[in-house]
Amino acid sequence: MNESMSLTIILPLLGALLAAAWPRRGVFIGITAVLLSGLAVGWLWFSLLADGPSHQALGGWDPGLGIRLQVDALSILMLSMTALVALAVSVYASHYFTRRSQAERFWPLWLLMIAALNGLFLAGDLFNLYVTLELLSLSAVALTALGGKRAGIAAALRYLMIGLLGSMGYLAGVALLYSAFGTLDMQQVAAQTGDDPVSQAALIVMTAGLLLKSALFPLHFWLPPAHSNAPAPVSAGLSALVVKAGFYLVLRLWTEVFPDTLSTQGVTLVAVLGGGAILWGSWQALQAERLKLLAAYSTVAQLGYLFVALALFMSAPPGVARELLFGALVLMALTHAFAKSSLFLAIGVIQHRAGHDRIAELDGTAQRLPATTFAIALAGVALIGLPPSGAFLGKWRLLYSAISLDQWLLVVVIGIGSLLAAAYVFRVLGHAFGRSALSVQAIHSVHEEWPALLLALTATLLLGFGSAWIWPFLEHMA
Amino acid sequence: MKAGALLYLDLIMVILMLVLAIGALHARSLRHAVILFIVFGLVVALAWARLRAPDIALAEAAIGSGLAGALLLAALRDRRPGDDATRRAPVWQSVAVGGLVTALVVLLAWAFLEVQGGRANEPLANIVQATLHESGVSNPVTAVLLNFRAYDTLLELTVLLAALLGVMSLGPQRSPMRAAEPMAAGLIGWLIPLLILAGGYLLWVGAHAPGGAFQAGALLAAAAVLAHLGGRREFQLPGHTRLRLLAVAGCAVFTLVGVSTLLGSGVLLQLPSDWAGGLILLIELFATASIATALFLVYLGGHPPSWNSREVHPDA
Repeated sequence: MNESMSLTIILPLLGALLAAAWPRRGVFIGITAVLLSGLAVGWLWFSLLADGPSHQALGGWDPGLGIRLQVDALSILMLSMTALVALAVSVYASHYFTRRSQAERFWPLWLLMIAALNGLFLAGDLFNLYVTLELLSLSAVALTALGGKRAGIAAALRYLMIGLLGSMGYLAGVALLYSAFGTLDMQQVAAQTGDDPVSQAALIVMTAGLLLKSALFPLHFWLPPAHSNAPAPVSAGLSALVVKAGFYLVLRLWTEVFPDTLSTQGVTLVAVLGGGAILWGSWQALQAERLKLLAAYSTVAQLGYLFVALALFMSAPPGVARELLFGALVLMALTHAFAKSSLFLAIGVIQHRAGHDRIAELDGTAQRLPATTFAIALAGVALIGLPPSGAFLGKWRLLYSAISLDQWLLVVVIGIGSLLAAAYVFRVLGHAFGRSALSVQAIHSVHEEWPALLLALTATLLLGFGSAWIWPFLEHMA
Repeated sequence: MKAGALLYLDLIMVILMLVLAIGALHARSLRHAVILFIVFGLVVALAWARLRAPDIALAEAAIGSGLAGALLLAALRDRRPGDDATRRAPVWQSVAVGGLVTALVVLLAWAFLEVQGGRANEPLANIVQATLHESGVSNPVTAVLLNFRAYDTLLELTVLLAALLGVMSLGPQRSPMRAAEPMAAGLIGWLIPLLILAGGYLLWVGAHAPGGAFQAGALLAAAAVLAHLGGRREFQLPGHTRLRLLAVAGCAVFTLVGVSTLLGSGVLLQLPSDWAGGLILLIELFATASIATALFLVYLGGHPPSWNSREVHPDA
């Protein structure tokens, strides 16, 4: 039953078209489309578990002439992450926008973003990946500009330029590969790459473009303004999902398309940059005066962990330890998606109720918004990497690998990064638990506070206690 | 033409491209830069034609040079007086960017030469030729775009829609320019029907010769831009619902074709080969309308009054 693969892309796309044509029904169309594409992902789970990893040639043409969609354990986990985060954020967004014109603009673009993400996670064709990247970038840029403020539009413009530059790097690599190997299909290209100049040049420009898109330090400069100036639901989507797309593609390219091309120096460089991202991002998050900026810099740091893990994975000798590290890597990516979207939604609640997100003036937040404060604390647990969150298991494995590969510098960097993360999370909580001078009443708002809380619970409890199956699943469905 | 003469032509084009590109980068004012860029686009279009890629040449001339030029000129008009002070980047930035670009060019040139020396092969072009008769059209470019890789084209139309929605959400359209002078207005009156005719021709001819929805849509959009510039009263955008339907129609028809093939055969966009020609024309017809609408609305620089729902108060 391969219809489910196409449906996960087509359903949000149809929703986007309907929402663009009938903007007044945006909320209803949006929620329905997100739900239905989530169900399609569920259906895809069934067919994956029944038939194993599979692929489908679209249009009925052989891969090479036509385009291949493919699904395996990694892509279904990414799809599920997208579906769940998108659902929670959509519920929150259905009541977030106060101006109707803004809500009308949000839904079609939001659904296009989901369609692009689903398409990207299923694509098995290098040029098709480029098209999904473009759709993702453009919808994300347009969503960033939705706030309508000058700073937001300036950040969106910079985001657009960076996105285009990254896409062009990726496209240049695709063009090189096509001219050398005469095909765009990932598996057919993978069968021909080696340590020849063309593969190397393609690997360099494609990776550079994608690192720019996934904001690896020091190419992260565009991320904090874009993520901190967008409306809260958009920030959640950008930080949790969109930057993961670039990381996912680097992972796919390195492990599947260029396994023999990648050099030790390249891997070392990415590990060094990842370490820089951890330290710089965490330090900047600690310095931030606004909550949204803190969350954005925290994303820079968390991407650093992912790239460090990827570099360690690529340099680890084959064996059980390597497989375990791969599962840890995926688990960290999933946990960050849930934790960070929860954090941004919670910040959105605070900003809505308090009218600002200045950290120094958060006193009384715990009294006024207990559920939201709880969500921030839980998300913080996952961001620091404390037990029982999924990030704890991931980081544990990461440290273990770094020690067994004698990468002591990385061990130190990860340690300092975690301490800094603890510092910035507790700085927020310290202010939030400060007593307000005014007597305030606790506010409970189900649709406003629950999405953040559920996302944080998923990151901290579900992905901590209930994630043991991920390792065998990744191994059998690769 | 003899090979020698063609070589001179190529040489002139290469030099012209370089001179125009450098000129655009170092122009005295943005206005000069834009005009040089438009001319650069035309020469690039010629170069594509010379490389025997007439489809790309048409697209480059119509979109890369024509409409992009109109967009840039319109954007120039939006500047406020103070904006023109051309800010020069600090020297270290220029050097860094220059160094990076040089490294990239060397890297790409090296890889490219390796390809040329070694395994230059085009097995895919042969497969396309061999499969062409099953595609429903006889122009290989159209066969690839609308049948073999139709899913890519569907997503590309969606990219255009995302760009359109992005521009529409930035604010209301820019104020209309002053009406054209009588001479220009008369000329525009002649040009518009010709552009519409040429657009229709390109759409139809795309099935077996260079042309297709993107080029045709660009020409129709150019006609709309001219009508707008000429202040023609006959030219009005449709109302809210129809305007929105026009903008999504291309993607929507394409997606519906995809859904019906999915329901019918279980494979997305598997066009039955008897119907393929007709379905491709249907898709291209609506795609042309949507592309023209999108390009024209983007040219307006913001949403026209009828874009938003009526109850929504226009926000400044």
